[in-house]
Amino acid sequence: MRQKHMNRYRLYRFFLKFLHYAVLVALTIVVGFPIYWMVVVSITPSAEVYRWPLQLWPTNPTFEHYREVFTRQDLLIDRWFVNSVVVSTIITVLCVFLSSLTAYGFARLEFPGRDLIFLLLLFTLMVPGQVTLIPVFLLIRGLGWLDTYHALIWPGAVSVFGVFLLRQFFASVPRELEEAALMDGAGRFRIYWQIVLPLSRAAIVALTIFVFLGAWNDLFWPLVVLNSLELRTLPVGLTVLQGTYTQERALVMAGTVIASAPVLVFYAIFQRRIIQGVMLTGMGGR
Amino acid sequence: MSTELLTTQGHTSRQYPRTWRTPVYTLTNYLFILPFLILFVTFVAGPIFYSFWISLHDWKILAKEQRFVGLANYISLMQDDIWWIALRNSLYFAILTSIINTVFALIVALLVNAPLRGRDFFRFVFYAPVVLSVAAMGIIMSWMMNTQFGIINYFLVWLGLPPVRWLADPNLVIPSLSLATVWWGFGFPMVIYLAGLQGIPDHLYEAARIDGANSWQVTRHITIPLMMPSIFFVFVTQLIAHFQVFGQPYIMTGGGGPGRSSYTVIIYLYQTAWRYFAMGYGAAIAVALAFVILLFTLIQFRVFGRRRVIEY
Repeated sequence: MRQKHMNRYRLYRFFLKFLHYAVLVALTIVVGFPIYWMVVVSITPSAEVYRWPLQLWPTNPTFEHYREVFTRQDLLIDRWFVNSVVVSTIITVLCVFLSSLTAYGFARLEFPGRDLIFLLLLFTLMVPGQVTLIPVFLLIRGLGWLDTYHALIWPGAVSVFGVFLLRQFFASVPRELEEAALMDGAGRFRIYWQIVLPLSRAAIVALTIFVFLGAWNDLFWPLVVLNSLELRTLPVGLTVLQGTYTQERALVMAGTVIASAPVLVFYAIFQRRIIQGVMLTGMGGR
Repeated sequence: MSTELLTTQGHTSRQYPRTWRTPVYTLTNYLFILPFLILFVTFVAGPIFYSFWISLHDWKILAKEQRFVGLANYISLMQDDIWWIALRNSLYFAILTSIINTVFALIVALLVNAPLRGRDFFRFVFYAPVVLSVAAMGIIMSWMMNTQFGIINYFLVWLGLPPVRWLADPNLVIPSLSLATVWWGFGFPMVIYLAGLQGIPDHLYEAARIDGANSWQVTRHITIPLMMPSIFFVFVTQLIAHFQVFGQPYIMTGGGGPGRSSYTVIIYLYQTAWRYFAMGYGAAIAVALAFVILLFTLIQFRVFGRRRVIEY
């Protein structure tokens, strides 16, 4: 009797586990499908894209759309790609360097008005970024920076949230280490560079990843300050593709794949760090 | 903010605390924050005040002198039907998306938090769409939701259901954008929840097990109550983020269509400032938007104090 009861319980557990997996697998299919479908449409011959029944598995795969994306006169996708890489990299390096340097200053150094300035930073965290769009645009215009990368880089290098975040991490670095270094005659900058930064690596890496992803994916600001076709970044380039070639779906999808593949590969490589980074910082990469 | 001065106990020949306190050192300390501060004042703090100043003018981008109009822009805004439509749409989208994301991401987080073979793989897949740009996501989803050629309708018809005019129906367009956004973004709150779930001590679960509670009871009476701070944090931050929606309608519905049924505040701001170059009115829209968001933020601050980073 008892044995029978146990068996039934085991069966019940097994059923629950099966259900659990079934739900997760179904969800995986639903979540993964749009990305799969983007790739499929991009390698479907133009004539078949609008034909029903739709082909869930491409029977005549073709790479003509990828060739076309690279050869059309008004689609400078290789150039946009380089632009995105260059701009995002510069923004990330500047932003992480400045945020960490400043965070160290606020966490460890004494200077008059420090707490007041920090309070001002905190205050601006509450104000949504949209408020500064118009004034910064007018300022950039006044500086003659419209349609140059200065317009993207300098405003993009300021991250109040980054300072705030890193300050918290730096404050947890043991003071004794710094004292020891001071005794050995290290300067403040050297302590920051050789002790505090390496010890806060997890936070620095997380910030680096999310600033990069944010810069790479930004749409609004490049849309507003860039005008020339050859200066655009990938997301703005994609809107051109979507706007001009609505009728050529496979071509649009090929462009979308080219724009998305790098971030997806980047994510696949660093997924553990990225997910840990979200847990650590509460940032999301947008 | 308990940063005291470094104190050494005087057992070395060099007197650090003394040099430390000299004004020269204090001033060089400014060098650490100076580069950031210059950019911060130029691109963040200054513009916040400048924005308000611009909104008090009839600001034309090409004019030599800007005409001061006082609060006229705000008064027009309050009587502007388009503003109210845009505000309504943004709120509708934000509330709908945030509720779905908050609940759905929690369910998924509970599913992938259980000790299960391959759960890292599931987490990997569920977070993946988050790294896509809104442009890529919008292009993919608008094609899938296409009424005539979209694959979602293809499946519906295949199942014997009537096709749905996802982005073409004025009543469905915002829920559709919401759905697309949930696909794109639920991985982010999911990971926030996972961080929260890790912080629940094991002995609570063990105690419940010993008392004979089943999984559902454990979830209902231990996990959910302990997760309430995370749930609330996710909801409010999602609300703030999605209220500022721009990319989805810009890409997926041609900037707010059909008609104005998905026209949002940021789209209105974009068109006012960069299509009609009415910078004064645009600035007024931005400031009004900031006030709405400030309301959300205050709710968040009331509950969380000054913390922006979640700690468990």
